[in-house]
Amino acid sequence: MIPIVRYTVAVMVHSQRFLPPVLLFVIAIGTFAHDAGTEPVIQIFAPMTAVAFVSAAWMTVALATAEDPVQRSITAVNAGRAWSQLVAVVLVVLGTFAVLIVLLLALPVVVGNRDADAVKLLVGALAMLTGAGFGAAVGLPTSRLVIPRAGFALLATLALIVVFLLIRGLPPVNTLIILLSEEGTAPADMLLPEIAYLALTAAVLAGSVAVTHTIVRRQD
Amino acid sequence: MRLQGVGKRYGTGRMVLDNVDLYLAPGEVVAVTGGNGSGKSTLLRLLVGVARPTSGTISGRPREVGYVPEFFPDDDSLSALSYLVHMGRLRGLTTSDAADRASRLLDRLALSGGRRTPLRRLSNGNLQKVAIAQAVLVRPKLFVLDEAWSGLDVDAHSVLSELVEEVAGASGRVVYTDHRQTVGATRVLQVVDGNLVELDTEPVLVTRLVLNPPPDTNLDEPVALPKALSGAMSTAHDGEKVFVQVKRADTDQLLMAVLADGWSVIRVDEPVAVPSGGAS
Repeated sequence: MIPIVRYTVAVMVHSQRFLPPVLLFVIAIGTFAHDAGTEPVIQIFAPMTAVAFVSAAWMTVALATAEDPVQRSITAVNAGRAWSQLVAVVLVVLGTFAVLIVLLLALPVVVGNRDADAVKLLVGALAMLTGAGFGAAVGLPTSRLVIPRAGFALLATLALIVVFLLIRGLPPVNTLIILLSEEGTAPADMLLPEIAYLALTAAVLAGSVAVTHTIVRRQD
Repeated sequence: MRLQGVGKRYGTGRMVLDNVDLYLAPGEVVAVTGGNGSGKSTLLRLLVGVARPTSGTISGRPREVGYVPEFFPDDDSLSALSYLVHMGRLRGLTTSDAADRASRLLDRLALSGGRRTPLRRLSNGNLQKVAIAQAVLVRPKLFVLDEAWSGLDVDAHSVLSELVEEVAGASGRVVYTDHRQTVGATRVLQVVDGNLVELDTEPVLVTRLVLNPPPDTNLDEPVALPKALSGAMSTAHDGEKVFVQVKRADTDQLLMAVLADGWSVIRVDEPVAVPSGGAS
């Protein structure tokens, strides 16, 4: 698995397709965390979870077809297992967002925000990781691997993003944002539902890889 | 390795291949011929496992598969060497081992344009060399080449033929398509209406010629070649000289035609026996 992840990182870096979604996340940090030294940190995490979801979906869509189809088939032959390419894309997206999330979490700590304790940072880390993971789960089956026509693929991605972001009470992204933005819940009490949403996301992500793999195989 | 009743269609289109049976024995070199769009490339994609059969089964595919597709993409910004190192690692090689093997292969194929140059700045012939190198970083047990000789210079041409012989010599199976040559094949198959037809591989006598074109001939333009050369089994050039293989029986006629077109003859070799097959 390590060689295919390294190769996917190389393709990502050379194609520079990771830049727009990463920039979106960084700009959002500037927007929602510009008072990172003073504002309550949970208040930062709610919108950033939404941003992690959207930009991870974007990055997944971009990475899934970063390789030319012919090159992709060579890679599949050399790797021996076609699904490992999809798993590598997911791992690279999650790895990128792990770095971005750590950067964001470090910000209030570095500037000396006294509200930033370990529990709250953990709440934020879980929420944003769940957002990014679910973004990857949405991105894979709506990438051009599955929907070859670029316009339809984009519409499908946007539709799923809107659905999971805006339909009230639909887990895990929308419910996470509500959980984080509602006043009165103690941060420690957020952890348990967060872990449930993370588990749900992991299951959906695994299903998304499996479904995408099956559809892609059928098209070949 | 065996294909049983294999059929393939894309989407709801016609059957590109229909009920194909094929057994590939170790050490075999199989040439696949057929017109454009006849399903040659599809057959190769099925063999390497990039495509899935719509019907039938494929069994006994070895783990070590080397695949050289017809067109290697030219938009990659990785360098030749780092691309090959990545491909080698996918095969389970260590980084240094992969780099060693990649360097040796690129030397052998005489890659020009620099192994650290981004792939997208290499010429088509050099890209083809990278495509070949990735397929043989680990000696394949199944080596599948789609028009891999076209676009190669003369030296790389013979290196590729050597690589094919090496794979076959180590009990690997080789399957290739090529527009002209079926030289070196132990079997020649033709794709006709979605089926495989075994062609006669009785050896024929082939003459090798070295010709000099008239001045100002752009050899990369196919139209620059005189019509008479289309009767040849294969042609290749090194930028100056043109290398031709032609059936013994057609040699005199071809020579007369090219001489009449202002070409000159540098060398005519003794005829040698090669398997016939799809050469026409």
